[in-house]
Amino acid sequence: MTAKVLAGALAFGVGLGVTAAFAEYPERPINMVIPYSAGGATDISARSIAEPLGKAVGRPLVMSNITGAGGATGSVAVQNAKPDGYTMLFARVGSHTVNPAMKETLPYTLDDFRFVTVYEINPVACAVRPDSGIESMEDLVALTESEGTSYSSSGVGSMLHLAAVFVLDEFGVSDPLEKATHIPQKGGGEAATAVLNGTVTFICTNTSALASFVANGQLKPLMVTTDEPVPGFDVPSASSLGKPGLKQLVGWTGIAGPRDLPDDIAAKWGDWMAEAAGNETFVEQMTARGSVIEVMSPEDAGAFIQKQYETFRALVDRLGMRIEG
Amino acid sequence: MSLIDNVMAGFALVGNVDAFLALAIGIVIGVIGGAIPGISATMAVALALPFTFPMQPVNGILLLLGVYKGGIFGGSIPAILIKTPGTPASSATILDGHPMAERGEAGRALGMALWASCTADVISNLSLILLAGWLASFALSFGPPEFFALILFSLTIIAGVSGESLLRGALSALLGLLLATIGLDLVYGTNRFTFGNPNLMGGLNFIAVLIGLFAIPEIINTVWNPTGHVGKVRTLGSKWVTFADYRRCFRSILRGSFIGVFLGSIPGIGAAPAAFLSYSEARRTSPNKANFGKGEIEGVAASEAGNNGVAGATLIPLLALGVPGDVITAIIIGAFMVHGLQPGPMMFVMNVDIIYGLFIGLILSSGLLFIVGSLAIRGFKPVADIPKRILMPIVLVLCIYGVFAVNNNIFDVGVMFVMGWVGFLMSRYHIPAAPFLIAFILGPLLEDNFRQSMLMSGGTPDILLRGPITWFFWGLTLITIIAITRGTLDKAREKD
Amino acid sequence: MSKRAIQFQLGIGACLGCLFLILYAIPHWISSPSNIRNIVLSPRFWPSIVAGLTGLVGLGLLVVSRSTPHESGLANTPIDAPRAGLIRLAGLAGLMVATFWLLPRLGMVWVSIPAFLALAFLARTRHPKTALVCAVAVPMLLYGFFAHVAGIAIPQGDYVRLP
Repeated sequence: MTAKVLAGALAFGVGLGVTAAFAEYPERPINMVIPYSAGGATDISARSIAEPLGKAVGRPLVMSNITGAGGATGSVAVQNAKPDGYTMLFARVGSHTVNPAMKETLPYTLDDFRFVTVYEINPVACAVRPDSGIESMEDLVALTESEGTSYSSSGVGSMLHLAAVFVLDEFGVSDPLEKATHIPQKGGGEAATAVLNGTVTFICTNTSALASFVANGQLKPLMVTTDEPVPGFDVPSASSLGKPGLKQLVGWTGIAGPRDLPDDIAAKWGDWMAEAAGNETFVEQMTARGSVIEVMSPEDAGAFIQKQYETFRALVDRLGMRIEG
Repeated sequence: MSLIDNVMAGFALVGNVDAFLALAIGIVIGVIGGAIPGISATMAVALALPFTFPMQPVNGILLLLGVYKGGIFGGSIPAILIKTPGTPASSATILDGHPMAERGEAGRALGMALWASCTADVISNLSLILLAGWLASFALSFGPPEFFALILFSLTIIAGVSGESLLRGALSALLGLLLATIGLDLVYGTNRFTFGNPNLMGGLNFIAVLIGLFAIPEIINTVWNPTGHVGKVRTLGSKWVTFADYRRCFRSILRGSFIGVFLGSIPGIGAAPAAFLSYSEARRTSPNKANFGKGEIEGVAASEAGNNGVAGATLIPLLALGVPGDVITAIIIGAFMVHGLQPGPMMFVMNVDIIYGLFIGLILSSGLLFIVGSLAIRGFKPVADIPKRILMPIVLVLCIYGVFAVNNNIFDVGVMFVMGWVGFLMSRYHIPAAPFLIAFILGPLLEDNFRQSMLMSGGTPDILLRGPITWFFWGLTLITIIAITRGTLDKAREKD
Repeated sequence: MSKRAIQFQLGIGACLGCLFLILYAIPHWISSPSNIRNIVLSPRFWPSIVAGLTGLVGLGLLVVSRSTPHESGLANTPIDAPRAGLIRLAGLAGLMVATFWLLPRLGMVWVSIPAFLALAFLARTRHPKTALVCAVAVPMLLYGFFAHVAGIAIPQGDYVRLP
């Protein structure tokens, strides 16, 4: 009896396989890998766009969190997947520009992925405790030069790690690796807590991660890295402080497939994203969290990421921050 | 606005069928999710999250809190019935809950788990409501040195769950500490025992290790000795938990609840260590000390009180500081933000009606948990009657699905299998599994906080004794170690 | 195996493990940057402490094993036919390896069904018919729950896809 069922099932499967060759992509649910844990910035962003995007795609999107090693475990899962467009990745600044720029032994490079879009930009802000006596970036730089400071991050090779060094370097601290101590934490929430409880002096991270602390008066922002001021953050922007170089320092979320993703599939994603990101609820939800929704075409996304990677890589090489082994 | 006004405003928000229903649905989802190994409380909350987006903020958050509380209790069901913790927090429940089930007292163990859970839930919620402000400011005085001292003290639990030989318990713990070092180094980001495998870079998945260590050896044992269980009663049993049981365990439940509240209010520890600490404290002070680990109902009560005590208390740092205490509250914070709420001190000013609405909902939740839990125990009753050699393949397939689902990674299934053999060998050599588990959870915390302290101080160890909190826990550690040494020596002398 | 033998073997094992860790595993399998200012911050520091403690516990076990009486009784209850038992264990190990290897290729459902049957057979179940029914029903039900209720991408394999 089982043999018969199995044979029937096999025949059914072959039938499906044949139709698949003619059917148009996508003809079954698409597996979307989120390389960070539930509740994080990437996860919320991905799950917010899942609904409008699913409508545009016309097939269900199955969200899979594959966490570990600062986004590397999930990224590798997509790197090794078949480039048939049924396994796609929510890539993030940490996993796809900071990590490749900093880690020698990372099991993938930027070239292993084909980006179909970048849809969300998060400005970065630096913040301290309100009772720290630090009122401006000048104070922070002066303190770093004289006594030395410390900053927290969500781990070695995370965006927070690079951001703090980038900012200090840009503000002219001569040897930021020596003068400011990096105290890594296990995650973004822990990194913010470390500033709150006085373990470290400052933190530089996405405005969305800081917004509630700033609104509650628990943290005091010093600056944001965008051209324009960010709502809720009553501080100067990097441009107004005369540091336009910091504009490169922004968080982003995008979608990527394996390297050999065919052109027509990439083009389809471009269309879907343009449609989905127009969804009002989605835009409202994301803007309320301090993000800027800006859909890039596959080509623009690739160029944007490449440029950020090169900026980060140059900084890492100049300061000798690269992690070997 | 006075307190009465706030409470009334809160009632206005939750005094309707919707809020009540959301809470009840949440608890049902939680109990079922928690009872399925691999889904666990964490994933149940993550899965329910998107469904709360279109709801009223209070209802949505109450639903998630219901899932959380239901999940922590639900985890004890498979822990007792099939020796597979549904949620990491219920691993301590296995120690005595499963032996009770083997003895035909699964119903009594489950009943006690429910009573202890609900009692701890009430205490935890009351602590949240009455002590939130005070405990939150206390939690913020925990920097790396304080954590280091607290975790060092928590490691002394190992002595309490080592069973007959302290040395074998220590060996088990060391193995756990060693396996916990796999992955990327915290401070330098370099590889430790990863052999270039990207799956190992994230470290061994905790739930895969947990299920591998407890459930799989049971399967291997059944294959090794297929008829070993024949003749033993393995039904739910007619014996139900009695009020006398409850009264006898009440002190342990109370102590466990407060341990849970304390550890829950400090971000970053979580429910599993609280359950183990509560268990070992109950064992230390119980007159039936020798019976612990062999099916002592007080052990079940203490573990379940410990982990449910955490559930309400993790909301203290969340509401008062906007800081997530564990993975689950990190997800719940996401729900607050999606609704445009910013947890923190200002929320007690700006959205005080929501805060009081949540408080009222939480008080209701303990009662609902009791009703849903009682129904769930009856619903899962048939599991205890499945013949063992049919049950074991079911457990295997369930574990494969569940462990995969935790991180969508087939590699974790392999980790589970390997840990199963490690667990089997350990049981052949009479090495207890619980110390391994505690060390596996606490080891990375101990190392990370030690190194963070060293980074803070520039390498001088003075910082480890920087304030009264550290002195307190160092003192407690010393006292416990002296007590353990004396106890061991006394035991050795008795033998001679 | 007596209790004394257990203590002795564990002691030897722990000491060997300690030596292996300190002499080979830690230097070779943990990479440490060259510019570490303070030894306590090295990635190797903590594993070395754990290795050292393992050695101490091993020595402790050896000492204790000497004072355990020879006739301390069997540690584990013996089974009827140990040889057959070992063969069954080997079969189970093979089953696990095969399951793990086939999971991504055939899909979780199609691997779980034979794995279920094989395990029921290895455990010499007295209810072969129930086992057969459960072997098909349980993986299918679980698939339905995990894939469609919990929304998890259960591996489907390269050949037969389920809806």
